[in-house]
Amino acid sequence: MKHEFSKEHRQYLAKKKRDLALVWALRIGILVLLLGLWEMAADLGWVDPFLTSSPSRIGKTIASLYADGSLFYHIGVTLLETLIGFVIAVALGCIIALLLWWSETLKRVLEPYIVVLNALPKIALGPLIIIWFGTGSEAIVFMTVLVGIIVATLHMLGAFMATDSNKILLLRSMGASKLQILLKLVIPSSLPAFISMLKVNVGMAWIGSIMGEYIVSRAGLGYLIVYGGQVFKLDLVMSATCILCVLAAGMYALVVLLEKLIVKNAES
Amino acid sequence: MKNEILRFDNVTLTYHTKRGETTAAEKLTFSVREGEFVAIIGPSGCGKTTLLSLAAGLLTPSTGTVTRRGSCGYMLQKDELFPWRTIEKNIYLPLEIGHKNTPERRAEAVELAEKYGLSDFLQSYPPQLSGGMRQRAALIRTLAAEPDILLLDEPFSALDYQTRLNVCDDVSSIIRSEEKTALLITHDISEAISLADRVIVLTKRPARVAFEHELDFGEENRPIKRREMRQFSAWFEILWKELNV
Repeated sequence: MKHEFSKEHRQYLAKKKRDLALVWALRIGILVLLLGLWEMAADLGWVDPFLTSSPSRIGKTIASLYADGSLFYHIGVTLLETLIGFVIAVALGCIIALLLWWSETLKRVLEPYIVVLNALPKIALGPLIIIWFGTGSEAIVFMTVLVGIIVATLHMLGAFMATDSNKILLLRSMGASKLQILLKLVIPSSLPAFISMLKVNVGMAWIGSIMGEYIVSRAGLGYLIVYGGQVFKLDLVMSATCILCVLAAGMYALVVLLEKLIVKNAES
Repeated sequence: MKNEILRFDNVTLTYHTKRGETTAAEKLTFSVREGEFVAIIGPSGCGKTTLLSLAAGLLTPSTGTVTRRGSCGYMLQKDELFPWRTIEKNIYLPLEIGHKNTPERRAEAVELAEKYGLSDFLQSYPPQLSGGMRQRAALIRTLAAEPDILLLDEPFSALDYQTRLNVCDDVSSIIRSEEKTALLITHDISEAISLADRVIVLTKRPARVAFEHELDFGEENRPIKRREMRQFSAWFEILWKELNV
């Protein structure tokens, strides 16, 4: 359908567009300004670049990592650990939440355990994880799962339990079984909560994998950060942190894209 | 009595909670005949919804029996359409639940929807419809399962006054022309008078049948017309007094 908009509406749309352009210009402007100030401060000796690094030194570090072929190796290691941990945490979290929704008794019995596990700082389990899983990627994936799974479980259980009781009543009056109520109502109505859980868990997964690499690792971005700190190569620390920022943002953007796809599908 | 679709016989229901027990209904006896439109009114908090749950078989009485011949369709205060389904898919819901999701039944359901002015909205999502249209869609969804009795739980109370009168007329004419049996539960006296053939007045909790009236509007069963009739205010007065004993 093609609309002929009124003049006011065209002006309104143009203004919206200008506003958006302004916001983006400011966003990019702030980044350029900060990087510029940082570079200038380091070049003019206002700060010691040995301690603060600088954008150009970060660029050089990343370039040399790329040159010796280790850049994508470290990125790959961390990314894989994060993604595997993320997927396992989300899948298990959803399954556990489903079981807890299904059985009121199970939920009541397990409640205190979940509360304690949720409150426990997972890093406390670091030594145990090293002993159980060794010093390879398994340990880091396990840490990532540990950090994400409780959040995923609680988030989804909350969504399942918040299902509109009148809609449940309606389905029961049609003679629906518990499985039908689950499939026709509880799961579809929890889709928005699932997306928001994914968004939260992207952050959780990165916390888990980097924390895991701090405790035990021979490769990955977390390893570069720890190593860089130990040998006082702060360029390396800063470089790895910048790469992390980009990766985390990228993963979040993927979830947002997924959200748009699902919402679009639900309406077509 | 023959042709009874629903019968409550000395039904008592007691709720148990930690704090104690509440008797929601006591020795409740009444019946609904085939093709009849019965309204039950009672003071608020007299356990009206409990009564419908009993009729739908979702609750079992503590003592006494509830007998229902055939299936029932439940219509609630809000339309409770699933927002992620189109109107068409919403209407198929009872068929899916009852494992009756055949092409014939779906065609019948769509036909019903088209007959009552929903053809343009079949592919729309519930939020795109007005409150009145949504309630109409909810009624078609209920009818799609071809229930032998409709249980209506204050189905208009969530609508604004203007829409309410229209939807009330709408629902009434659809139920009458489909020759369905209906049991309406409401606290709105005028709604009960304008819709029903028979009105049952309940007491305060625990609910018992206090009064029962056969309404005398003759062949007139359009709510808007009934509201203009002489008997209307007379009935209103009677029921008002009986509710406030």
